[in-house]
Amino acid sequence: MLRWGGGGTTRCVRRATDMRRRRGRGRSGRVLVVGAVLVLGWVGLGYRLFQVQALDAETYAAQGLDQRLRREELPADRGTIYDRDGVELAMTIDAVTITANPTQIEDPAVTAAALAGVLGIDAVALRQRLSGDGQFVYVARGVAKELGERAIAVVEQRNLTGITFGTEPQRVYPAGSLAAQLIGFVRSDETQQGLEGLEFAFDAALTGTPGSQVVERDQFGIPIPQGELIVEPAVSGDDIVLTIDRSIQFAAEEALAAALDRTGAVGGTVIVLDVDSGEVLAMATAPGFDPNDRRGVPAELFRNRSITDLYEPGSTLKVVTIAAALDQGVVSPATTFEVPPRFLVHDKTYTDVERTRSEEMSVAEIVAKSSNIGTIMVQDLLGNPTLHEYLLRFGLGSATGTGLPGEAAGTLHPLATWCDTTCGPSTAIGYRVDVTPLQMAAVFATVANDGVWVEPHVVKETIDAEGNRSTSDRVERPVMSTHTAETMRRLLQGVVEIGTGYRAAVDGYTVGGKTGTTEKLIPGVGYSATDRIASFIGIAPIDRPEIVVAVVLDSPHGEITGENGATAKLEFGGVSAAPVFAEVVEAALHQLGVPPDGG
Amino acid sequence: MTASTQPTALRPLLRQTGAGRSVAPAHGRLRPWVAFVAIVVLAFFGLTYGRISLDRSGFMLETLDEQIAAEQAHHFELRVEVAELRNPERISQAATDLGMVFPGRRVDLSVTPMGAEELDPEYRWAQLRALLGAQP
Repeated sequence: MLRWGGGGTTRCVRRATDMRRRRGRGRSGRVLVVGAVLVLGWVGLGYRLFQVQALDAETYAAQGLDQRLRREELPADRGTIYDRDGVELAMTIDAVTITANPTQIEDPAVTAAALAGVLGIDAVALRQRLSGDGQFVYVARGVAKELGERAIAVVEQRNLTGITFGTEPQRVYPAGSLAAQLIGFVRSDETQQGLEGLEFAFDAALTGTPGSQVVERDQFGIPIPQGELIVEPAVSGDDIVLTIDRSIQFAAEEALAAALDRTGAVGGTVIVLDVDSGEVLAMATAPGFDPNDRRGVPAELFRNRSITDLYEPGSTLKVVTIAAALDQGVVSPATTFEVPPRFLVHDKTYTDVERTRSEEMSVAEIVAKSSNIGTIMVQDLLGNPTLHEYLLRFGLGSATGTGLPGEAAGTLHPLATWCDTTCGPSTAIGYRVDVTPLQMAAVFATVANDGVWVEPHVVKETIDAEGNRSTSDRVERPVMSTHTAETMRRLLQGVVEIGTGYRAAVDGYTVGGKTGTTEKLIPGVGYSATDRIASFIGIAPIDRPEIVVAVVLDSPHGEITGENGATAKLEFGGVSAAPVFAEVVEAALHQLGVPPDGG
Repeated sequence: MTASTQPTALRPLLRQTGAGRSVAPAHGRLRPWVAFVAIVVLAFFGLTYGRISLDRSGFMLETLDEQIAAEQAHHFELRVEVAELRNPERISQAATDLGMVFPGRRVDLSVTPMGAEELDPEYRWAQLRALLGAQP
């Protein structure tokens, strides 16, 4: 209440009231504006909130989820390869991989020296790699876990920069060089693609099917518990169980390596077949290699000579000629021939080794002494069509069906192309026909198996990811009568007991077999004047056959001196290959638990 | 603002209920609210605890998965080691180092099973000779 007095006072009061009114009006106007702005703001926020939370909620939720969700591939474990006893011959483990970013490395020399010392690698070469301009180099791959942990400790201790540790699958072959050509190997990278041998042939089955997972991860890549997780599991590759017996394989490889040392042969192969089942118990090739470390190994050593190398079988093929003649009733073991020292057919003269005069020989003797001319005389009675028919029945000219990569079918010329002159005689004694050692082993297995040819195979069974086992069907076909096969076994026994194969005799067991020596055919050049293919293929024990062992040596040279002072050339199968047969048979029969038969 | 408005709002209620009963009825009216708030708070903490437990279980599962993977990797390494130890080449070398050799002379003892026909070596040789005809 103002008490100023007079009209002046009243005017002042009015003026003050007006001012208050005006001020009040102005204030309320600002309040309205602010209120309106706030309301609009809230409305805007509300609208935006409604838009985000209701209208576009799914879109934003999906965007957010996309930022957290990651699709990752789950690699399938590659299957394991086992021997017949379930021991691992090839398997995959996680190995440490060490990589580097050279641009982040402060001192390449120090880093290289530190890592090379731990990993046992060349420090100079590593320093060169680490000094490059690139952003990625491998320091080491396939490092063992313990070694990797030591390398990590060194990196942390010395505070080395630019070094990254990770894991990647590594294929390992615990048996080293054992059956290396048969098993093969895979690429060294994470694809683990099979490159050679069974690893290549069964790559699809071993590889399996990769899976995938969608997982919700935080900004550090750590999975969010209770977050999104969709897993499509990988299906592991099939495991493969081989027919190979580790001990017999080792014995075969040892005997073969010793033979190469003894004879100077450039290569060789030994096959051990189970007579009844056709299972390959051993398939050795020399020289060998270690699939765990293939650096510097020439590609030539990767070849599985048992199935890829073709050769003319020579005298070992006489088994087919004589068996055909016996089976057809053309001759009997006692049928005799007057066998001349030289035999001219058209323009080609056939001879027998170390025989200078005519001799009356029975069929049994022809086999025991490996007479070329005697066999040609038997073939003359048999005829070309029948011989060709039996060669086909024994599986020559077609792959055996092992499914191994690079298996050669061999060469058996169609009968229509056979000439009337030397084609029959030459084929009868093992020329003009190209075979693999495995094909010839199957021929002898037919004789051992009472005349039934059984498909040789190296895979016993496959086991899928769920543990289901599957085996391939047995393939067999009759080739000759049981009686003929039995007679042939007696004739082959004679080869070892009184013939050219006496060095194949095995203490305690009665065995039979056939020697073979052929001039080495060099493609595009012709027959070698110096090199021979020496072979011996036999059956043990001969009374109750269990195994067939085939030994083929490529270009053995030199001579050996016997106990009586006589020398013998190692180029002959009976001299160089037969002793290998004896060694392998003895080891194999012991391993299989076959009792001695007093032979 | 809530603190100042609440007594104002309660005042008419107090007037209506009378002086002697002015406190107890208010408590009675508040009780459901307090209970509701308590339930909400408990539910909140319960849910939070549940979520934390689930997350903790998730982390534990994650750790277990990692342990399983590590054990499996170790298992594979041991399998490789066993296979390496069973390598015939290693065993052969170890046997050689121990001085083990193949016997120079082997003696086989064979026992003819009961009821089995004994195979006479002379008989077998005679068979072979007959097969070979005139051969010695």
